[in-house]
Amino acid sequence: MVKAYKQEHVYKHPWERVTSASWRKFTDAENKRVLSHILEVDTLNKSLDPSSGKLCATRAITVRCPWLVRRIIGEDICQCVETTVVDAKSRSMQLSYRNVNMEKFIEVEENTRYDPHPDNPDGWTICQQETRIRIKPLSALASMAEKVEQRCADRFLQNSAKSRDVMERICKYLEAESSSFSL
Amino acid sequence: MREKRGSKPSTSTSPCSLLRDAYHNCFHRWYTEKFVKGQYDKEECISEWQKYKACLSEHLEDKHMIRLLEAENVVVRDSADATSQ
Repeated sequence: MVKAYKQEHVYKHPWERVTSASWRKFTDAENKRVLSHILEVDTLNKSLDPSSGKLCATRAITVRCPWLVRRIIGEDICQCVETTVVDAKSRSMQLSYRNVNMEKFIEVEENTRYDPHPDNPDGWTICQQETRIRIKPLSALASMAEKVEQRCADRFLQNSAKSRDVMERICKYLEAESSSFSL
Repeated sequence: MREKRGSKPSTSTSPCSLLRDAYHNCFHRWYTEKFVKGQYDKEECISEWQKYKACLSEHLEDKHMIRLLEAENVVVRDSADATSQ
């Protein structure tokens, strides 16, 4: 009873800009209408190693649960923890994301990485994402596990399409901003 | 298109939202303008972070979040602030 899928997307923007957009997508006020399932984002912890250029951060992300989960478990809020590691020297960003409540019923795990695209490392960025949704056996959801997993997966795919649009928009904004600085 | 236009009062209920926005704005600027350009030898936004974190430590306890995070060993209150000096 696991639903797993992979997604890949190429941004025609450099890694520096795309990873900047990744930090901003849940917190910029003007995206809140589009990403309305994201209720709150708090940074819980962060650390920088100034010699190696490695940055780590942990954020708490509060998400509105999919309707079916609300209906069956009676829980409105899905609390997730996101861990990010960025290596400025090797230009990599890795994010992992999973739920920390309702874990007796459902486990959602998402791993994302942003790397310079091998065909155009200074101009494009490749984003690779793996998502796993698992309903725990013997839980209140188990009898409808397949349906719930499918609904969650559908919601995740819809939301990641929205996220990509938001990312593209922030990248354009950052591009305009950087060119107006250099003029 | 500008960021400013959308910055209506946030719908967030968190009492730390103003401090949070101040820290996130500062962090995003630092990340975009310095960190990715190789200027990572010095951390910035330290006072914004400390104010925000103090508020979080005070209010996070209201939520069951803190219990979960403690179980996860994601340390909130004694995070390595010493390294950010």
